[in-house]
Amino acid sequence: MLEQLLDKRLIFVTGKGGVGKSTVTAGLAHALARSKRRTLVLETDTFSAMEDLFDYSSPGLEPISINEYLYASNLSSEECFIATLRRFVPSERIARAIIKNRIARVFFRAAPSVNEVTILDQVRVFFEKTDDDGEPFYDHILVDLPASGHAVTFLNVPATMHGMMRGIGPIATMSGQVAELISDPATTAIIAVCLPEEMPVNETIELADNIDETLGRPLDLAIANMVHQAPLDAKNRPLFEEIHQQIREDYPGVESLFFDEEDERAESTAIARLIEGNALALGWADRDREYLELLYDRLSAPIVEVPIVYESSGTDVVDKLSRIFIGDSSDAASLTA
Amino acid sequence: MNSPPDQISADVIRNVLDDGRLVVCVGPGGVGKTTTAAALGLRAAMAGRRAIVLTIDPARRLANSLGLQSLTNDPQQIDLATAATGEEATRYLTSTSPPGEHGDEDQDDADGKAEGSQQQDGELWAMMLDSEQTFDDLIDQYAPDKGALESARENNIYRLLSSALYGMQEYMALDKLHDLYTGGYFDLVVLDTPPTKNALEFLETPSRAATFFDERIIKWFLPDHSAGFFSRVFNPGSVVLKLVSKVLGESFVEDLVEFFDTFHYLQEALQQRGEMIEFILRDRQTHFFVITSADPRRMKEAYFFHEKLGALEQKADIFIINRVIPMFAAHDLAQLEDEDLDGMLEEHGLEDPDQARSIRKHLETHYARLAKLALRDRKAISSLATRVGDESIRLVPLLGEDVHNLSHLLKLSDFLTPLKD
Repeated sequence: MLEQLLDKRLIFVTGKGGVGKSTVTAGLAHALARSKRRTLVLETDTFSAMEDLFDYSSPGLEPISINEYLYASNLSSEECFIATLRRFVPSERIARAIIKNRIARVFFRAAPSVNEVTILDQVRVFFEKTDDDGEPFYDHILVDLPASGHAVTFLNVPATMHGMMRGIGPIATMSGQVAELISDPATTAIIAVCLPEEMPVNETIELADNIDETLGRPLDLAIANMVHQAPLDAKNRPLFEEIHQQIREDYPGVESLFFDEEDERAESTAIARLIEGNALALGWADRDREYLELLYDRLSAPIVEVPIVYESSGTDVVDKLSRIFIGDSSDAASLTA
Repeated sequence: MNSPPDQISADVIRNVLDDGRLVVCVGPGGVGKTTTAAALGLRAAMAGRRAIVLTIDPARRLANSLGLQSLTNDPQQIDLATAATGEEATRYLTSTSPPGEHGDEDQDDADGKAEGSQQQDGELWAMMLDSEQTFDDLIDQYAPDKGALESARENNIYRLLSSALYGMQEYMALDKLHDLYTGGYFDLVVLDTPPTKNALEFLETPSRAATFFDERIIKWFLPDHSAGFFSRVFNPGSVVLKLVSKVLGESFVEDLVEFFDTFHYLQEALQQRGEMIEFILRDRQTHFFVITSADPRRMKEAYFFHEKLGALEQKADIFIINRVIPMFAAHDLAQLEDEDLDGMLEEHGLEDPDQARSIRKHLETHYARLAKLALRDRKAISSLATRVGDESIRLVPLLGEDVHNLSHLLKLSDFLTPLKD
């Protein structure tokens, strides 16, 4: 699935909170880097997920190199603001004077949209960075956006600012440039991550419409994350249902096993747990399918399904996801196992 | 008194729902926070209180599960009697005993609708925030004349503030909270906050909103009739102001001037409300619940909320951990004899032993995965427990079904704080 992203230099990843947006972003970044594309992954949150997922510690605005092809930075609004301001005032001394001025500080902190514009402007600065030969330094920049309720608003801030300032002044010019970049589907991709659950699916459908309407460009890709795999083929379902039924008869009150936190439990009920666990898993897979069908039905953007992974450490999960994105055959096989 | 942690956490929730005035639900997204808020509201209503759930999340199914078509910006009362169809719901609703001193008087009524019984007093209301509408209402309430809203709509900055603004939802949710809290009708407000970072902004919003309307700042921008505006802003002594205008552009500054001029009357009101909200958030009867799932990353975020609350001199009363995978354990597989399952399969008509083995392998492989997830959940939970204490943690098992009717919501509320026998 990576092919469709290879010509996009700027990739915004959005999604409702809790759908694994950061993990998927990290997996994509890792996959691109493994394909020897120099990739920068950016966060806009005070709470960095990437530090955990890539096991590093961010020193500041300047991207840190995680490996030869992978870079990361967490864009704090304060540092982005300072970086932007420095470009507009004649000297660093004056920039510092402004930042130190209590009233100016308070004003910029409270003023609407200043944070968003300066963060997105910093994204543009990385986008325009070149190497010694004048070629773009980063092949790809992935931006882990805030949760989707805010994502369109966030991405639309530059256009709004530009319009509001009637295109006059340095911030307006800068906003205009950023807005243009965001609305260009040839360079920029917008990806929505969701879970196969009611609210995330509905929100993704709404998000796609909203992106069309507000940003005047389409959603490029939806990624359905953590899709439960059915433990059994459909043809074996009737037999399994019969056995499940029998377990319910043979072990009355078996449902209470679900809420029993004891570790050492009777040997005789092990089979009941085996069957109940798988019944639960089948239920999840069925429910996921239902919402995925809704998504296929209502979304015109392509959809990629990512199966749930069972690794527990963040770095292992990212590694696994990146292999799924690259299409590593051994992992593809394990999906159907 | 050596109550087990499980009972302490149930009691904490029960006491908050019985006596609290505001429950703020914070936590990462996608963990069932809105549904949990609704279940808390429902339990409070069942305990005889007038509870309202204020959500920012447009969850249609949640509205449906409450028997409503949709949630709106105005409180809607949930008809508990009509919505509670199904055996389970009836059982829960009819077995409710009101809290405290009323507790023992009315035992299970035959039909739960006995005249004058205490549970008749409880009410559940719900609403969903529409920040644009709330802002308009606010203008309407404080505008000096009827034309104010019309002229406000013309202003660029107003348009930006009311519809496009990042963070606006937080300002307005707090404003709505203020109205509900001070309105006098509701005993308990359950506030469902936006996920992650926004929720943190949300807690800091009162001061932030007031800051924007800070008089010292407004003074920069308000036209002064004795001296022209530009002579004021471009006070030769003020390099800083000159640069602000240079960076933002003169036309933007002009719009700001107009904005502050138009909304001058709002300043005092917003500031007062901001102070009031801060007061409310710090009140003894205000409680914070951190809601999360057992996923290690979500747990980490939950802990982050805990620390953030601490920094704001607040404390989470309880950590509700949703969707905990049942305790499936890998050693169950070791205890299993192959013949057990094979025998069952054969009994149900499967004769091919190879096929039986294949099915068994599939089931065992999948069970091993579930056990892995279960173990991962338990590790994350115990790591949180060592930091916040077992008695602050309330586990809600993964029920394997979406909450889409009141009986499911009741089931959830029963896990949060079981009804007393």
